[in-house]
Amino acid sequence: MTEVLIYDASMIKVDRYYDKNLVDLVAESVSKLNSIKPDAIILANAYSETTVNQVLLASKISNMLGFSGFTSRIENGDASGGAAIQTAYYMIKSGLVKSILLIGVEKMGDFPTSYLNEITAENLDEKFGYREGLTLQPFAALQMKQYMKTYGVNYDYFTQWPLVMHKYGSENPYAYLKFQVDKKTVEQSQIISDPLRLFDTSPRADGATAVLLTSDEFKPEVKVKIEGVSSSISEFSTLSMPAVKQAYSTFREYKADFMEIHDSYSINAALILEEMGLEKGKSLNMLDSIQVNYSGGLKSRGYPGGATGVYQLAEAFMQLAGTFPGKRAQGEKGLVISTDDLGTSAYVIGLRRC
Amino acid sequence: MKVFPAQIWRNKESLYSLIAGKCNKCENLFFPYREVCNKCGSTSISKVKLSGRGTLISYTMSYQNRPGFEKTTPEYIGLIRLDEGIEIVAPLTDVTGEIKDNSRVEAVIRRLKADSSNGLIEYGIKFRLVEDENR
Repeated sequence: MTEVLIYDASMIKVDRYYDKNLVDLVAESVSKLNSIKPDAIILANAYSETTVNQVLLASKISNMLGFSGFTSRIENGDASGGAAIQTAYYMIKSGLVKSILLIGVEKMGDFPTSYLNEITAENLDEKFGYREGLTLQPFAALQMKQYMKTYGVNYDYFTQWPLVMHKYGSENPYAYLKFQVDKKTVEQSQIISDPLRLFDTSPRADGATAVLLTSDEFKPEVKVKIEGVSSSISEFSTLSMPAVKQAYSTFREYKADFMEIHDSYSINAALILEEMGLEKGKSLNMLDSIQVNYSGGLKSRGYPGGATGVYQLAEAFMQLAGTFPGKRAQGEKGLVISTDDLGTSAYVIGLRRC
Repeated sequence: MKVFPAQIWRNKESLYSLIAGKCNKCENLFFPYREVCNKCGSTSISKVKLSGRGTLISYTMSYQNRPGFEKTTPEYIGLIRLDEGIEIVAPLTDVTGEIKDNSRVEAVIRRLKADSSNGLIEYGIKFRLVEDENR
């Protein structure tokens, strides 16, 4: 059976690049990659129509890289990265394709918050939620309120996530918000949608990352293989993430040593961890005992939209290859959980150093 | 032009009258209306007009907005369980006093946004608190 290996991975710091367009960001990321000529290029990107007024993006980027073979863009909102990983994994696993350059890129740092909300609101149902003028943040706020009521916790409980994420992110040179914060800063930050505050949300910014996936016919320096990919979708739910639960069920016995999860909001981190088996209503009290988001997560590393899942894969690879420049995880098995902003579309990817 | 008549007209049953779908095969009730049941995949779906009445499970005051919605910001957003059992997230309107848990709410039509001071207007449903439901 064909194995899917990660040959190499690269990324640029998540940041605001006012002087660079989306294609420039890809060029910078790919130039750092120890690459071979791939059979195909798969691009993860969610919002290019609105953010850079561009379609035909996979073709344009492939052409810029001097590649003329099969190329395609995968769009699944903020879960585009996970969807692209699954697509690339299936392609190599099938045996029809031997190597794929997986690129994640997003340009979200150019805009004021109001316009950024307009872009991300495209994640909502067009028939009602989008037309009603809603944004995504009240959904997370409602999840928080229900969580607080159900488990008897107060706002204090949620401050644990940004404190830990910023501690980890401060060690990661690729992190957008590369600084530590104290509890008072979190507690007194701007209210976005009561009780959700600024530090309960993740900063949207620009980013580009590239991961070269190959079959086991190639011999990379360090052998890191993708053990499997699983995915699921669900409706929005206030106290659970059924899509994550379903996608993770395949990996329940996998016993990953560390993980990178999609913490678009602190409440998402809690709900994802609880779908993975941590005690409901107490997961954020247990951060000292698990290796989660040593990148700093979306909270501190930053949230480059549809590129996020590919960032997570690159980070997990670097952890296993021993090249991650931030806080190092112990162990041989990693897990990536890529979701959209509200966790209704989930991809779980298992990696192992062999 | 930011308000496009075809888009508004096409969504009139969701935005003006809360039309849901009911699967004739598995009885799944869902909003907005679609022509396929997302539980069993049946395409035998009936249109059901929801009562527009429900109970407010939770709410939040949202300080974020999108272009065109500045005048209604900040705005209360509610998690509402409609009497037919469907949960939706929708804006609240006409809130003047304290909001109590499990308040009863009803749907009303309100202006959502407009192209300009004399341009096309987009309307939609918001929910207001009902003080005395039997009155």
